[in-house]
Amino acid sequence: MKRFLSSVTDGSGFDIGLVLLPLAFLFVMSGLPLLYNVVMSLQEVDMFSLGSFWRPFVGLKNYVDLFSQPETRPILLNTALFVSASIAGQFVIGFGLALFFWMNFPGASWLRGLFLVSWVMPGLVVGAIWNWILSGDFGVLNFFLREVGATDGNIFWRSDPNYSLWAVIIANIWLGTSFNMILLSVGLSGIPKDLFEAAELDGANAFQRFWTITLPMMRSTIGAIVALGLIFTLQQFDLFAAITSGGPNNASNVTQYWAWDLSFRQYDFAKGATISVIMIVFVMLASVVYVRSTRHEVRG
Amino acid sequence: MGIRRYAMLGAIALASVSLPAFSASAEDVTVTVWSLDRDIQPAPNLINDFNKLNSGIKVEYRQIQFDDVVSEAMRAYSTGQAPDIIAVDNPEHALFSSRGAFLDLTDMISKSSVVKPDNYFPGPLASVTWDGKYYGIPKATNTIALFYNKDMFKAKGLDPSKPPQTWDELVAAARKLTDPAANVYGLAFSAKANEEGTFQFLPWAQMAGGGYDSINSEGAVKALDIWKTIIGEKLASPDSLTRGQWDSTGTFNSGNAAMAISGPWELDRMIKEAKFDWGVALLPVPEIGAERSSAMGDFNWAIFASTEHPQEAFKVLEYFVSQDDRMFKDFGQLPARSDIAIPPTGEPLKDAALKVFLEQLKYAKPRGPHPEWPKISKAIQDAIQAALTGQMSSKEALDQAAEKIKAVLG
Repeated sequence: MKRFLSSVTDGSGFDIGLVLLPLAFLFVMSGLPLLYNVVMSLQEVDMFSLGSFWRPFVGLKNYVDLFSQPETRPILLNTALFVSASIAGQFVIGFGLALFFWMNFPGASWLRGLFLVSWVMPGLVVGAIWNWILSGDFGVLNFFLREVGATDGNIFWRSDPNYSLWAVIIANIWLGTSFNMILLSVGLSGIPKDLFEAAELDGANAFQRFWTITLPMMRSTIGAIVALGLIFTLQQFDLFAAITSGGPNNASNVTQYWAWDLSFRQYDFAKGATISVIMIVFVMLASVVYVRSTRHEVRG
Repeated sequence: MGIRRYAMLGAIALASVSLPAFSASAEDVTVTVWSLDRDIQPAPNLINDFNKLNSGIKVEYRQIQFDDVVSEAMRAYSTGQAPDIIAVDNPEHALFSSRGAFLDLTDMISKSSVVKPDNYFPGPLASVTWDGKYYGIPKATNTIALFYNKDMFKAKGLDPSKPPQTWDELVAAARKLTDPAANVYGLAFSAKANEEGTFQFLPWAQMAGGGYDSINSEGAVKALDIWKTIIGEKLASPDSLTRGQWDSTGTFNSGNAAMAISGPWELDRMIKEAKFDWGVALLPVPEIGAERSSAMGDFNWAIFASTEHPQEAFKVLEYFVSQDDRMFKDFGQLPARSDIAIPPTGEPLKDAALKVFLEQLKYAKPRGPHPEWPKISKAIQDAIQAALTGQMSSKEALDQAAEKIKAVLG
């Protein structure tokens, strides 16, 4: 006992304690809810059995039911499209802006700070604003498109099943771009300047420098951003609630919104949990990418 | 919302410290009430008045947000923290009564000298009824009707004293009134993918002999076909599919729609905003002489089965009911009762509109009542939107909805 105590105050016991404490914390705060969610997806849950743990066990019935619903496939495809298009848009525009501000013209850092406004705004506010911008009859975007001659009629962004998902994607790209830009700016400023000077002396043009120095040096930052982007876009809920409510006829519905709708509007908590479990799998994949890409940073 | 809630709690705490009159004496029974009413709406005001009576019952009030009512209530109920009294949206009443979460008030009502079932409109009363017993008391009611812009009717050669009576007349009028060059649609309504869409569509199906349990009947298909015509010919904005009733009627007020289907909750805003002569007509029917129907909205009072003071809670409800004649005068809401005459407001447009709404209320039907209403409603919303976006024919869409509803009804 004494040996144990002394190892806690001075020795390996202390180290183990330091590791165990956060692990226990993690387990209680995220592990248990996660497990609970998985258990719930195997049970039959309604609003009145929500408070008790002992509920009828139905096995994989929720999963089978879910995949036999006609809307499941389109919603999964919507989610994939929403996530990939949002990440691509946020990344490309964010990278472009980061490179632009990297040129360090007067006022560059000040302007860059202004871009963060979009990231600070709550999703529902962003949603409400884009709701007006994208409105079919009086929306600013339609006015703009008409004035530049891109369209002659109004596009009903929110209500046309061909456009409604893109309406949310556009808003989400706007929302996430500045975050991408800031992270990429940090990554850019971490590249030693002398690398570029040496390359320039050797006669590498701007494109070659970007391709052979900037991109490879940014590898871990880019990996982290894509992984974080996947997590953030899979979390994106407010914009759907504010702009399309998943409509028309599920044309812009995605798994995260659907899980909410099933749980809190149709009170089918088991199905909501089932969808969440499916989403957890994807987020875990993203975390693996994230952890792998940030591993390089530690070695510095 | 979080900050506001804490600010409110803080204000209440301060008020109870500084105003000893509000604090309860030791023998008082405390009854808690939750509703979504704000300070200009009935619940908090009636509760203040009740507390001044010093009847030995002290009522505490908590305001909850519209979207949180059900989730807050069930979380509270399942953890044993439910309030004594709550106000819930009428289609959700059955959900709670069928599971025994609400107290059966049948006996107390039969003994009561204040609450008399006969006084209520049949629709609201049906919504608090489950299995032949009363599990609540209607708080207020509302319904939808057709608003129309008389100035536009005149300008397009239509008789402003003869609003459309039938579906065909409605479509014909909408065709005449639609004017894309002037940014005017013939009609504004809501086909949104939430309860509002169901609320607006069900009356049409019911007028044609359909209903939630026969949603693919011939009449309901015809009703959806008419909606399809209206959206397809752009007689109403395609954004009707994602816009709620409040926003849709906003386009009517600003002169961008010649007619609008909405409820009496629009009246005050319309009087302020609409700079033209307008009127209200009953919802058009399939053909002259067809059965009328309408949607029925607004909230009901209920007592949670877990209450420790059922008698006192019922006394509080009796007090609310005894003040029903103030509902419209003081708070602009329609009492759910047919025995209360609504006094004129002195605002001619509002008074005329009110007459139509009171007439329309006679035909208002509750949604359900069914404990799984949200699922039924979702099936109907999906069908409406699938048909209106041209992904399916009305028949196919409603057949699919009927199948989903059949699975729910069992």
